[in-house]
Amino acid sequence: MNCQQTEEKLTAFALEELPDAQRRKVQAHLADCEACRAALADICATADLLREGLAGEPPLKLTDAQRALIELAASTRPWPESVPPPPHVRALRWLAVAAAAACLMLSSAAVAWWGRGQADTDRVAANSPNASDMAERRGQYSYDDVLDKEPRTRLAFEGDKKDPRDDAGKSGAVVTEGAPTPGPAPTGTPQSAPPDVGVTGYGDVPSPVTPPAASPSRPTNEEVVLAFSSEKDSKWARRDDRDRRSPLLHFSEALTPDEGLEKGKDGKKLDAQGRESPKDYRGLNAEEYDRIVDNPFLDSMGNPLSTFSIDVDTASYSNVRRYLTGGQLPPHGAVRIEELINYFHYDYPPPDDGEPFAASIEIAGCPWDLKHRLARIGIKGRVIPADKRPATSLVFLLDVSGSMDQYNKLPLVIKSMKKLVGGLGENDRVAIVVYAGAAGQVLPSTTCDHQELIVKALDGLHAGGSTAGGAGIQLAYKTAVDNFIKGGVNRVILCTDGDFNVGVTDRSELLRMIESNAKSGVFLTVLGFGMGNVKDATLEQLADKGNGNYGYIDNEKEAEKLFVEELSGTLVTIAKDVKIQVEFNPKRVVAYRLIGYENRMLRAEDFNDDTKDAGEIGAGHTVTALYEIVPVADQVAKPVMADVDPLKYQKPASLADAADSDEMLTLKLRAKEPDGEVSKLTQFPARDGGKKYGEASRDFKFAASVAAFGMLLRDSQYAGTANWDTVIELAGEGKGDDARGRRAEFIDLAKQAKKLSGK
Amino acid sequence: MNDDESIGERRRWVAEAVDRYGDELTRYACRLTGDPESARDVVQETFVRLCRQRVEQVNGHLGAWLYTVCRNRALDVQRKEKRMGRASETVLATQADAAPPPPAAAESNESAARALTMLDDLPANQAEAIRLKFQAGFSYRQIAHVLGTSAGNVGFLIHAGLKTLRARLKVN
Repeated sequence: MNCQQTEEKLTAFALEELPDAQRRKVQAHLADCEACRAALADICATADLLREGLAGEPPLKLTDAQRALIELAASTRPWPESVPPPPHVRALRWLAVAAAAACLMLSSAAVAWWGRGQADTDRVAANSPNASDMAERRGQYSYDDVLDKEPRTRLAFEGDKKDPRDDAGKSGAVVTEGAPTPGPAPTGTPQSAPPDVGVTGYGDVPSPVTPPAASPSRPTNEEVVLAFSSEKDSKWARRDDRDRRSPLLHFSEALTPDEGLEKGKDGKKLDAQGRESPKDYRGLNAEEYDRIVDNPFLDSMGNPLSTFSIDVDTASYSNVRRYLTGGQLPPHGAVRIEELINYFHYDYPPPDDGEPFAASIEIAGCPWDLKHRLARIGIKGRVIPADKRPATSLVFLLDVSGSMDQYNKLPLVIKSMKKLVGGLGENDRVAIVVYAGAAGQVLPSTTCDHQELIVKALDGLHAGGSTAGGAGIQLAYKTAVDNFIKGGVNRVILCTDGDFNVGVTDRSELLRMIESNAKSGVFLTVLGFGMGNVKDATLEQLADKGNGNYGYIDNEKEAEKLFVEELSGTLVTIAKDVKIQVEFNPKRVVAYRLIGYENRMLRAEDFNDDTKDAGEIGAGHTVTALYEIVPVADQVAKPVMADVDPLKYQKPASLADAADSDEMLTLKLRAKEPDGEVSKLTQFPARDGGKKYGEASRDFKFAASVAAFGMLLRDSQYAGTANWDTVIELAGEGKGDDARGRRAEFIDLAKQAKKLSGK
Repeated sequence: MNDDESIGERRRWVAEAVDRYGDELTRYACRLTGDPESARDVVQETFVRLCRQRVEQVNGHLGAWLYTVCRNRALDVQRKEKRMGRASETVLATQADAAPPPPAAAESNESAARALTMLDDLPANQAEAIRLKFQAGFSYRQIAHVLGTSAGNVGFLIHAGLKTLRARLKVN
């Protein structure tokens, strides 16, 4: 065993977690190796420090009332396995429990409520004992099996009851989840009866809800008991946000329309609940979004070629998520459908060894127009394992202007950069350049075995001053070029809220500057933070011109996604200037429509023009593009399209022999190596096998549901028969394993959008 | 009566579990949910769930069971909080308020305090694995169970986390 092999096992060795054979090998190596012994000592010392620090953390105690409740639960026998008891029996049961419990040290009112809740608990428990058996047999303590059913079934049951909390003077409506549950449902209540996700207390939807009671003080223990016993989920709503609000929270919910953040800070423009109603906000311009016009249907005879640049940005999805979770529908211009679809990972086949990427095509029925077909093009970039990532030289270009001084901006930037640095090693280097009133280098390019220096520099950053983005960009690129690693990864990572309001503000000049810097071979990642002043359109274009990708970081989880989970994808470009051109066969295709990519369209001539810039693919990235296709078939109507006059000097084009093949389209791809200048062409014909939508792969269904979601958010005329329920249903079909819960999160967003749109 | 005896035993068993695990579990849950109140609620629910388990089913891996159930519930709560408009940004803010301060005792080792602060800058899954190891005292296998991953991956997470911490602390 050599030093490297030993090093990997040292921690497990120190913690006595290695199996015997390996332990002996490590011990043998340690006997002769001073360096590894030192490393071991280091590990042990760090472990001890952690133990000490963690032991010193004050534990949190359960309240006395909570302990009493638990004791009560332990004293009550679960209801025997049978049909849930009819209401009058439940009432009797309730009385019995109430009587028994009356002698405990809780107020009788609290107990009465608890007893009612307990009866429900018992009943639901009765429905799930088999589930817990199954879970045990599988050796899993899967919460979902035993427990996940419970809140929903209970809610469904409660749905037609008077809300007990109204009697107690508490606020709110019953919160329910409309999704049908797989588990047994209580009798007599249709599960679809409760409305989808009713939220209370946030003032974000004008719904017929009891206005939240103004409870100025924190709930007492007794009230906590009440909260627990009745709707668990609605408790989250009922706990009035205003009680716990810090000024920061107040600010965060104010999506200010005009002047900027200062307005939001003083809170005057906010309504009673600290929000602006959804309708007011759309169309206002502090946040800047380009106008996007949906790609129309195009006739395949007159427009046989569809050409566009790929896009791996994901910012639009994070941004849309930010709006929806904040209780507002996003402006149309913020919804870039290709970015919504590309946020998710799909299981496309990876490329062969040595190839930068692989393409695959799936064609099936279109769920929002049954006569149409949907063609999904998928590109998968080569995966690079973390230990095979080339040596990396990064420059963090950080906006530390005054506007960054909020908890979800500069502190989040610092946290995100630390996560990123944690994944880098001694062969990688990081420099830090900041810009505020001026630009300056805070840390010269430092190798990442000196984590402490980098972290110290990050921790020392403060926000203040106005922004001179232009000067910062120049300095960052200069630093990157000065520390260029040939054959490695060279990248500037720009973190900002987009507020370049001093110096070079002219957008086109900024873009020209980035464009010329991109020629140096340094790539760019643009990350938007915060809200209210995000210049989404500018940032996207910067990334575009800079051979880069654009992400929006709304929270720590997103930073984890980009910098831990997808570190290689974010840092390592495996193909540059990737362009797609699709030729449709007019004998099979009447018309087609590209969904999304509106601001990525290229002219047909641009495809073969290597001087024309296009998007980059990172390691492991997938890129998806969807075409809605009107096939040549009986009873399929031609879509409404504007006519072009017949040509005067040319005869109408005629079909070639290839049109007689069974091919529906041919996909062409051009891409360059990351440091190359000449593109390489690959082609893939595809035929339509007549697959129905129901037979399509899960990923296909999910991508289609995201496309429909985007179209609905845009109020697109092309959404066909799609509505929010369709989106939710299709996404559910396409969800699959969803290990990280992202698809489930999407479904939640769709439900939220449905609620906000009032449809 | 038989019934009374087993109820009494059960109550004792649950009470012991609460005494042994309750406080630490709540601290663990607070990391996941972001604030102490919802953490307490999650832990309370976890123990109520325990009341419905058969003793022989859970004994022998009580700790792992409690942490697993608690974790799943906490993550559920986190998701719901997001959906209901309390976006993760607000969790960030409340987390800043709610995070337990480094040990305040006079003898507290400054380095230990620093290590603790840096722990939170690690990727979430590394930090969680480290806490489960060095705070809750679980084995790799038990941690793997709680997190729903393999023991090998747990080893990797802890190794990577420690490595980063070592570099940042420059312990000597």
